[in-house]
Amino acid sequence: MKCFHPRGARRIAAAAATAAMLFGVAAAQPTPGAAAGWSLADAAAPYKGTTINVVILDRPSYVAEKALIPQFEKTTGITVKTTTYPYESALKAETLNFVSNSNQYDGILADLIWTGTFANSKWVVPLSTFTSNPKLADPALDLKDFFPVWLDAFKWDNVQYGLPFDSYSGLLYYNKCLLKKAGFSSPPTTWAELRDKYGPKLTNKSAGTYAYALQSLRGETQTADSFSRFLWDFGGSWYDPKTYAPQLASPGAVKGMEFRASLAPIMPPGIVSDDHAQVVQLMAQGKVAMITEWSSFYTTLNDPATSKVRDCLAVAKEPAGPAAADPAFGGFAYMVSSQSPQAKQDATYLFIQWLASKAVAPQLINKGAVVARKGADTDPALMKKYPYLAPMVAQWAHSNYDWRPRIPQYPQMSEVVANYGSQIQQGSLGIKPGLDKINDEIKGILTSGGYIK
Amino acid sequence: MLAEQQRAQPALSLPVSKRERRQRLTPWLFLFPGIGVLLAVGIYPVIYALWASVHKVDLVNLAAGTPFDGAQNYFSAFLNSLFTGAVARSLLFLAISLPLELALGMLIALYLHGTVLPRVRSVVRVVLVIPMAMTPVVVGLIGSLVFNNQFGLVNYLIGFGHMQSVDWLGNSQLAYLTTLALQVWQWTPFVTLILVASLATVPPEIEEALRLETKSWLKRLRYVQLPFLLPGITAALIFQTAYIVKLFDMVYTLTGGGPGVSTELVSIYIERNAFRAFDIGTAAAQSVILLVITIVLSNLYIRFFYVEAEA
Repeated sequence: MKCFHPRGARRIAAAAATAAMLFGVAAAQPTPGAAAGWSLADAAAPYKGTTINVVILDRPSYVAEKALIPQFEKTTGITVKTTTYPYESALKAETLNFVSNSNQYDGILADLIWTGTFANSKWVVPLSTFTSNPKLADPALDLKDFFPVWLDAFKWDNVQYGLPFDSYSGLLYYNKCLLKKAGFSSPPTTWAELRDKYGPKLTNKSAGTYAYALQSLRGETQTADSFSRFLWDFGGSWYDPKTYAPQLASPGAVKGMEFRASLAPIMPPGIVSDDHAQVVQLMAQGKVAMITEWSSFYTTLNDPATSKVRDCLAVAKEPAGPAAADPAFGGFAYMVSSQSPQAKQDATYLFIQWLASKAVAPQLINKGAVVARKGADTDPALMKKYPYLAPMVAQWAHSNYDWRPRIPQYPQMSEVVANYGSQIQQGSLGIKPGLDKINDEIKGILTSGGYIK
Repeated sequence: MLAEQQRAQPALSLPVSKRERRQRLTPWLFLFPGIGVLLAVGIYPVIYALWASVHKVDLVNLAAGTPFDGAQNYFSAFLNSLFTGAVARSLLFLAISLPLELALGMLIALYLHGTVLPRVRSVVRVVLVIPMAMTPVVVGLIGSLVFNNQFGLVNYLIGFGHMQSVDWLGNSQLAYLTTLALQVWQWTPFVTLILVASLATVPPEIEEALRLETKSWLKRLRYVQLPFLLPGITAALIFQTAYIVKLFDMVYTLTGGGPGVSTELVSIYIERNAFRAFDIGTAAAQSVILLVITIVLSNLYIRFFYVEAEA
C-alpha cells in the first residue's frame, strides 16, 4: 500500500507492527483445529454482562446493524448500546471523546479519511492486538474475503486498525422509464454524454424535471461528492504522492471545475444547498432522471415507503471523465477505542468481528446495508436481487483508497475545499482564482504538517 | 445598663462569636453551588479560551504540544478573509434584524397596551411566547422544510398563483433574507414582551392626563411612554445583540452556512474552525474578538440609550 506519512522514523515500528499484524492475520485464518474449538459464545463468556457503546450514523447500513444487534446480544450476553450521529457531527463527537480522555465510546466508527488522524494519535487499537489472541480471534474471520482496497483503506503505517463496514462506491442511479421515454435504452457512460446527449432531452424546466442532480452542500459533501468527483475524472489530483505538492490548480483541476459548472443548466436550481438526502429525494420523487450517489442509498431509493420510482430504478457504473480516473470511493470501518478498559476493548472487538463476519454479511445486505465482503457481494442470488452490487464490485476492482487523502491534516484541507469549492460552484468566485486560493491554503497546511519541506 | 450588658455580651462570649461566624458563612454556603457552577461553565471556559488564543492548539495533534504563540492567532484571524467576511455578515445581520425586531415589537406592544380587550391581550401574550418557546434547531429544521425549493410549503402556495417557484435557500441573497426573516419571526415576540412590561410601568394618571391634552399617539409615545421604554429597549438591544452575535443553531440547521458562505455567520465559522479543522488556538482568538465586539456594543447601547425614567 502507499504510505503517505512523511516521517521515516516510524518505519521500524511500522515494520514490527506489520509483522505483528501478519502474525495476527495468519492466526485468524481458519485452521481445522481452531475452527473446531472456537465459538462466539465461549469467547464472550468472560465478558457476559458487559455493556459497550458503539457509534452509528443515521444511514441505511446502521438500521440493518441495529436490527441484527439482538442476535449478538443473545449469543454473548454483551449489551450493545448505540449512539447515532449525523455524518457531519460524528468526527467532532469522537474527537472530543478522545481529547477529553473519555471512554464514552468503545466501538469507534471511522470514515476512511479519519484513519490517519485516529491512528496517528493512538486513539484506536491495532487489530493485531485482538487477532493474535486465540481466545478472541474467530478462525473463520477470513480477511482475504474482504476486498483488498477496503482492508488497505484502514491501514496506517501498514498496521490494520479497522474492519470495513458500510462500504461505498459512487454509482449512477437512473430512472430507466424517463430515459426510455427520452429515447435512451442505456445510461450514459461518460460525463460528456450525460451533459450533451442526455441532459437536454431529460431536462424540462417548466415541468420541474431535470436530467441530473449533484449533491453539493458545503461540508464533506461539497469536498467529496462534488469537488473530488470532477477533480479526478478530468486529470486533477489532491497532490503529488511523492512531493506532496498540491495539484488543485492544475489544468486538469480547472477542466474538472469548468465541466462541473457547465452541468448547471441540466440540474435543479439551488443544488449548492442540497445534501445527500435532498438529492436522493429528488430522484425518489421522479424530479431528476440521474444522480451519482453512494451505493448505500440504493436501499432508500428501492424502498416503496420512500420512493416513487422503485419500478424504474436502475444502477450503473459512474460516468467516466477524459482522464478515466478511479471512481468515487468512500466508507467506514469499526475500530476499538484505546481509551476503553481492556474488558470492554475485548468485548467490542468480538462485536466488530461478528458484525464484519462472512456469516453476517448476507443478512446485512438483505436488511439494506452495504458491506465489503467478496463472498456476499458476488453471491449470484444476492447480485440478482440487488442490482447495485455488480457495478459496485466492478468499480472496487480499480478504486483508489486515497481518492481523498487520509492524512491527519485532511479535515483542515476538506474545510478549505468546502469553503472555496461552493463559492466557485455558486459563481461568486472565479474557477481559476478559487482553485489558486485552495491550492495556496492547502500548500500551507501541508507545509506546516511537515509534508512539504 | 441592661442594654449595655447585652451589647457587651457577644464580645466577651466565644460561643456567640462562633455562632456569628457561622451566620456570616451561611449565605456563602447557599451561594457556593451557584458560584461553583458559574465558575465551571462560565468563567473557566473564558479563561481557557484566553489561554488557548495565545497558544498553538491543534486538537488532533496534541502530541506536538501546545507552544506559546504570542499574538499569532489574532493576526491570523484578522488576516483571514473568511473570518472577516463572517464578522461582516454577522454585523449586517445585526444591523438589519435588530431595528426590525424593535420596530415590529414596539408596534405590537403599543397595540397591546392600547385599546385591546384584556382577554384578547392575554391570548396574544400566550401566542407571542410560542415562537420563543421553540428551540432554534427546530426553527431551522422547520424553515428548511417550509422554504425547500422543490417540496416546500411556501413554493407550493406560490404555485397556486401560477408563479415560478423561488429558490429560497439555494440563492445567496435569498438564503440570507430567509434566515433574517426566521430570526425576526422568532425573536420579535421577545422584544414585544419586554416592551409590554416597560409600558406597564407608565403611571396611568400621567397617560390619562396626556390623553386629555392631545389626541396624537406620537406625542404620547415621545413625551410619556418613551422614557419608560428606554430601559426595556436597552435590555432588548443587549440581549438580542449577544444572541445574534452567537447565533448558531437555527442557521446551522437551516442552511449550514451556505450556499457557499452566504449565511456563514461568525459563530458558524468559528465552530467549523474549532471542530472540523480542529484549530482550537485560532478559533479561541476569534471567539475572544467576538466577545470584545459584544462588550463594546453593549456599552454603546448603555451609553446612548439607557436613561432611568422618573415618574
